[in-house]
Amino acid sequence: MAEYQNLFTTVQPTGPASSGVPLPPGDSERIGPPFFLHLAGRLGNAQIGPIYLGWLGLASLLFGTLAFNIIGFNMLAQVDWNPIQMIRQLFWLALDPPAPKYGLSIAPLNDGGWWNIAGFMLTVSLILWWARMYRRARQLGLGTHVAWAFAAAIWLYLVVGFFRPVMMGSWAESVPFGIFPHLDWTAALSLRYGNLFYNPFHALSIVFLYGSVLLFAMHGATILAVGRYGGEREIEQIIDRGTASERAGLFWRWTMGYNATMESIHRWAWWFAVLCPLVGGIGILLTGTVVDNWYLWSVKHHVVPGYPAVYVPTIDPALLGVKP
Amino acid sequence: MMTRITFKLLLASTAALLIAGCERPPIAVSQTGFRGTGMEQVYNPRTLATQASLNKAPAVADAIVEVPGGPKAGAIYQNVKVLGDLSVGEFARTMSAITEWVAPQQGCNYCHVAGNFADDSVYTKIVARKMLQMTQKINSGWKQHVAETGVTCYTCHRGNNIPKEIWFKPEPQKSAGGNLGNDAGQNRAAKSVGLSSLPYDPFTPYFLDSKPIRVNGKEALAMTGAAANRSSIKQAEHTYGTMIHWSNSLGVNCTYCHNTQSFSSWGANATPQRATAWYGIRMARELNNEYMVPLTSVFPANRLGPTGDVAKANCATCHQGAFKPLYGAAMAKHYPALYAPAKAPDAPATVPVADAGQAVPLAGKVEVSAK
Amino acid sequence: MAMLSFERKYRIRGGTLIGGDLFDFWVGPFYVGFFGISTVFFALVGTAMIMWGAAMGPTWNPWQINIAPPDISNGLKMAPMMAGGLWQVITVCALGSFVSWALREVEICRKLGMGLHVPVAFGFAIFAYFTLQVIRPVLMGSWGHAFPYGIYSHLDWVSNTGYQYLHFHYNPAHMIAVTLFFATTLSLSLHGALVLSATNPGKGQAVKTPEHEDTFFRDVIGYSVGTLGIHRLGLFLALAAVWFSALCIVISGPFWTRGWPEWWGWWLNMPIWGH
Repeated sequence: MAEYQNLFTTVQPTGPASSGVPLPPGDSERIGPPFFLHLAGRLGNAQIGPIYLGWLGLASLLFGTLAFNIIGFNMLAQVDWNPIQMIRQLFWLALDPPAPKYGLSIAPLNDGGWWNIAGFMLTVSLILWWARMYRRARQLGLGTHVAWAFAAAIWLYLVVGFFRPVMMGSWAESVPFGIFPHLDWTAALSLRYGNLFYNPFHALSIVFLYGSVLLFAMHGATILAVGRYGGEREIEQIIDRGTASERAGLFWRWTMGYNATMESIHRWAWWFAVLCPLVGGIGILLTGTVVDNWYLWSVKHHVVPGYPAVYVPTIDPALLGVKP
Repeated sequence: MMTRITFKLLLASTAALLIAGCERPPIAVSQTGFRGTGMEQVYNPRTLATQASLNKAPAVADAIVEVPGGPKAGAIYQNVKVLGDLSVGEFARTMSAITEWVAPQQGCNYCHVAGNFADDSVYTKIVARKMLQMTQKINSGWKQHVAETGVTCYTCHRGNNIPKEIWFKPEPQKSAGGNLGNDAGQNRAAKSVGLSSLPYDPFTPYFLDSKPIRVNGKEALAMTGAAANRSSIKQAEHTYGTMIHWSNSLGVNCTYCHNTQSFSSWGANATPQRATAWYGIRMARELNNEYMVPLTSVFPANRLGPTGDVAKANCATCHQGAFKPLYGAAMAKHYPALYAPAKAPDAPATVPVADAGQAVPLAGKVEVSAK
Repeated sequence: MAMLSFERKYRIRGGTLIGGDLFDFWVGPFYVGFFGISTVFFALVGTAMIMWGAAMGPTWNPWQINIAPPDISNGLKMAPMMAGGLWQVITVCALGSFVSWALREVEICRKLGMGLHVPVAFGFAIFAYFTLQVIRPVLMGSWGHAFPYGIYSHLDWVSNTGYQYLHFHYNPAHMIAVTLFFATTLSLSLHGALVLSATNPGKGQAVKTPEHEDTFFRDVIGYSVGTLGIHRLGLFLALAAVWFSALCIVISGPFWTRGWPEWWGWWLNMPIWGH
């Protein structure tokens, strides 16, 4: 018989739902009742809910829904209110930021103004949600690490949508709300600023992005591999090291000469994941404000590889004095 | 058990969906830069074969008629404004060829009043006259782009009254909501930009107007004042959109002209084809502004665009998916009518062909993978 | 050799795939095994080849060193050393050392009585490298399609290869892969943060329990995947990200030669949309 690989739960015990750790007085009641999804239980917990909806969460959802609707209705209007075309063209549709000529002023509604409003609503929504994350942790007596990780993501969002456009003097530099259009923006940013691969902060951010994927593969695999020793009981293993942590640590020590501990691996994880948007945001903030062409910047700093010529180098015809 | 079957089903359906719009090996490749840089053109040989068959030059029916000392068309026929210097025989030969190239179904009466060929009443004759002048300008005055190959009416028309690939200014967006739904000139799946959501008019700014295509500066650091590079990301999107048109029109990709390490750099980061393209866009601009736009009032309303503008040319008009129109078949040399008369030098001093745009063999010939 | 305080009892014989007791020992903290030997062999040869390539090249600047694959015209043959052959040898050494490393991990897992999840996960990464440097070039008929070995030069390859398809962001598998990359990073930050928030609750607070962890996420988003589930989810997201990455590049060229935006034509033209 094949060995169990700890990937999917085969037997799910059912019982009363957990109503959660009691909240301190002053908090609202949780919204339930919780129910169970058997399919979810094959991967993780089967219990869905209860959820906490306090004032911060409510306000965040309100602002978020407003932003979502502004974006959605603008898209719908673009296709003449035809819902079929909305679905068909959804990936291409967008709510665009104002044109460069408007600078940092709030543009007329249908010429970028809606983007300003939606962006503002979304920003308020995100900050309220951040506050919710912070408060829920505090109310449960937990550390605020989740909120601070979220802050790194909000940093990148604010850089791209607020700080950098303000420093550049133009909302037009910011990102459209749209699936393919925000990808066009990404490519256009790289084209305009001389190839973002040559932005060292961009490179470092990618190191942390790929590193995070590497780390979660490593950590996830390691814990599953010592599941038979209760490896997933990380809190207990942290305060009272058991054979799961020992084997996990020794695996890596024998493999690469170094190992983390059950606690410190989560610090590696937190920092790698947080440094991705943190460093990336710095890279975006410097683009256009300090550096106009990352390729030329990299040439100045002697990191650009040269390649042997395979044809006679082509002279720029604009320099030849030809009247076009 | 159930999950395994559902999982396999999901996998199979995803695969089927993706394969739905796909091609297959073997493929054909041509390297356009130093090895390992990733500068290469990738082709589907089956598509290439179809393309080749669709882009053949028609056979040249007869030889050039040379009658030294013989009567000129301008002396014999009335109201000959452009081709007067041709011999009568060559004039007739040219007219016959034009008919095959532009109006094979309708014949001479597409442009001429039956029985009175000198008559200018049919608008197409006015248009054709201008087109002849345009063709002569291309072949004699734009060798930096068309070299010695040149173009004929067939290059664009391919036996059609109207070339398949022309462009008009897009209809102004009717904003259904008044206060909402401005698409900002983009965010549609437009064929003009290869189905991307980039700005869907990549033609007016560059093929009619002379908006700058370049968005990069010459300095590494951001400058201030007069030295600042004021191009915006939106301008970069416009440039990107037109470049996608250029690429699709020629059936090539960005690395045909650029080492994308630095799009704006010339020298070793630009292939010779990029210089040819530099002349090409300027040629297209001149053709549209000097020859097509003046014809606006000549065309009837049903030949104009949604905003009342005349049909104009872009890269696809001649290239139609081939890196050289008709894959470089040299038709024009068989029709001296399509070159400017020798005694009328019209173009100002141009750069000798050898310095720009001369065809240099690509590094590595076109390879088809073994399978 | 200095070991961790609890290490000695785990250093037992056994678990090897090849070689039995012959290579079953440690050097410092490193386990050797047969595959430790083969790893060192391939790594040393490969590194020496890289050094040779750098010495034959124009620079020792680590950012600029470039070891390029052969010309495309060379097809699938072995190329002259200075015209891509070196690259080929390095690639063989790379694959040899990666596979050796994975098999060494297998031996270590067996010795420690662990599941084989880590080497299997690593296998996905090796597969991605293998796809880029072997599978795709073979499907396209030439080693010249693979990426060069150089810090910035491999990025130039990425840029140019992407632009071969005009706008690589529109590659649907690439979109899925990028989404999975960001989702993995998001999940990692949440998991790291959650565990740390329970074990480092702040001054004066007691260390919290998994019930607190679950409660936090149920309060915030209505669902908590749980201590076991998050590791399954994280592993799945990470491996799916790598899988779709390999998929997105192997289809570019062998199974699609045009611009990627154009691929979406099938969706836009479905008869279901009516006119």
